Amino acid sequence: MAESAAVQVQAYAHHEQRKICASRAKYREGRRPRAVKVYTINLESRYLLVQGVPAIGVMKELIEQFALYGTIEEYNALDEYPAEEFTEVYLIKFQRIQSARVAKRKLDERSFFGSMLHVCYAPEFETVQETREKLQERRKFVARATSSKDWNAADKKQEIATICTQDVLGLHKSIADSSHISCRDPLHDRGDEKFCYTAPPLSHEHVYRPVSSYEVTSSNTVQGTVQQTIASNSYTWHSTRPNVPGISTARFMPRTTQLQERQKKRQQSNALALCGLAPGGQEVVIGPKLPEVSQLDMDNDSLNITANTIREKLKEVSCTAMAAAPGRTSDDAADRPPVKQRRRI
Amino acid sequence: MGDGESERFQYLQTLVTEFQDTDSVVSPLNCSEAKEQVLANLANFAYDPRNFSDLRKLQVLDLFLDMLTEGNENLVEFGLGGLCNLCLDKTNKSHILDSGGLKLVINCLSSRREETVLSALTTLMFLCTAASRTEVTAPAVVECMVRFSLSTNRRISNLATIFLQDYCSDKQVQEAKELSQHSALGIPLPESTQHPI
Repeated sequence: MAESAAVQVQAYAHHEQRKICASRAKYREGRRPRAVKVYTINLESRYLLVQGVPAIGVMKELIEQFALYGTIEEYNALDEYPAEEFTEVYLIKFQRIQSARVAKRKLDERSFFGSMLHVCYAPEFETVQETREKLQERRKFVARATSSKDWNAADKKQEIATICTQDVLGLHKSIADSSHISCRDPLHDRGDEKFCYTAPPLSHEHVYRPVSSYEVTSSNTVQGTVQQTIASNSYTWHSTRPNVPGISTARFMPRTTQLQERQKKRQQSNALALCGLAPGGQEVVIGPKLPEVSQLDMDNDSLNITANTIREKLKEVSCTAMAAAPGRTSDDAADRPPVKQRRRI
Repeated sequence: MGDGESERFQYLQTLVTEFQDTDSVVSPLNCSEAKEQVLANLANFAYDPRNFSDLRKLQVLDLFLDMLTEGNENLVEFGLGGLCNLCLDKTNKSHILDSGGLKLVINCLSSRREETVLSALTTLMFLCTAASRTEVTAPAVVECMVRFSLSTNRRISNLATIFLQDYCSDKQVQEAKELSQHSALGIPLPESTQHPI
């Protein structure tokens, strides 16, 4: 990067602060006045250029400010950059592009030791590899965002089943799984992509599909083959997969069966709680094969906790109701008349 | 959430309506200015995948595509920026490819605007699928990329290098290099708009 900094110390058009647009229609006015500009992934970068830093030896303070928004990989002053008098220009490289985004938003046009900072992206400092990674990241982000949307529509359990089947089929780089994203080898990615486009589709289909499974299906739509939308696509997937052996079969259950089971469990436990039979009754219901917890298990920690509290509450209520019931009848006779009178007034 | 979504849809709809109306109403002086603002607004909305379906419903993709043949360079830049933002989604991608967007984007490679060329480069890579690959890596395009990869503008040369390395075969690159030696000498690189401050 040091070398790139040496090469590229020019002011570019995209560093320049554009004029604020004052002629916007009322309904299009944002919270902050802004210029007319379109942001694309090309303009964004992990590199931020900070102009307008007063030249009074405040680099440490400046970096501290920026470090609030994420890990900084490198930073240095750009001495040769054309700066205003008595100010310095700094280049800051964040580890993640998201940190750079937030830092830019928070610190651009903020006053800093009596001067106004101008923060902009500096993608011209990126290496080829860094630009490539940036584009890959955008690819993954869009893939994740658009696919998770479909999943929201689909059933949550099926979601898990999909992930499992993907694993079973060797789709290790499930786009849904964000944990893969950070550790993917960009070089490997590149290779995959290249192959995906050049190699005959059949022989490499299984191996290479994961990376560009989105590419492949979209090309299907172009060719006018079966799958038309993402939604219908994911549905056909689900419906064809239940027979896949392995983890998925263990987990996969049709939605209706699940609901029925859940309801059955709930009714059982409710009945137990209401009768106040919990300790004794449980043994009868559980049977020898299931461990104690799984009888109460609703496949979800949060659900379990909720179910337990409800059960407890019901037990409490039914107990107190039973206990209070006999006493009340005698009290009621005495209490009622005054209550009624009060209501009338 | 539902409310916020329908609110956003209505907002986008208002934008699209304003964009179309500024066209038909006999223009006040700032007509093109207002159009640019609205278009930039829409293009920035296109960055967020949450808006994709709304933008499709409002046929903003076609709106962006139409902008690529405008004479006003701002409109071209913003329209292409919008396409660059949303073309990774596969539904959007196939729509753009089906409506002949690839050719329009390729034409933008010869724009004099840095941002337009950059968006065109990235959009081309994003639009590359098994089906569209031959068109994306047509000899003329590859040859153009070879020139771009030698540009002094780092942003352009980076993207062009990625294009050559990741989307073209060595043979294609070699052929393009030979071609450019014969025929394309002297074609100017796009202006890298540098402003000495």
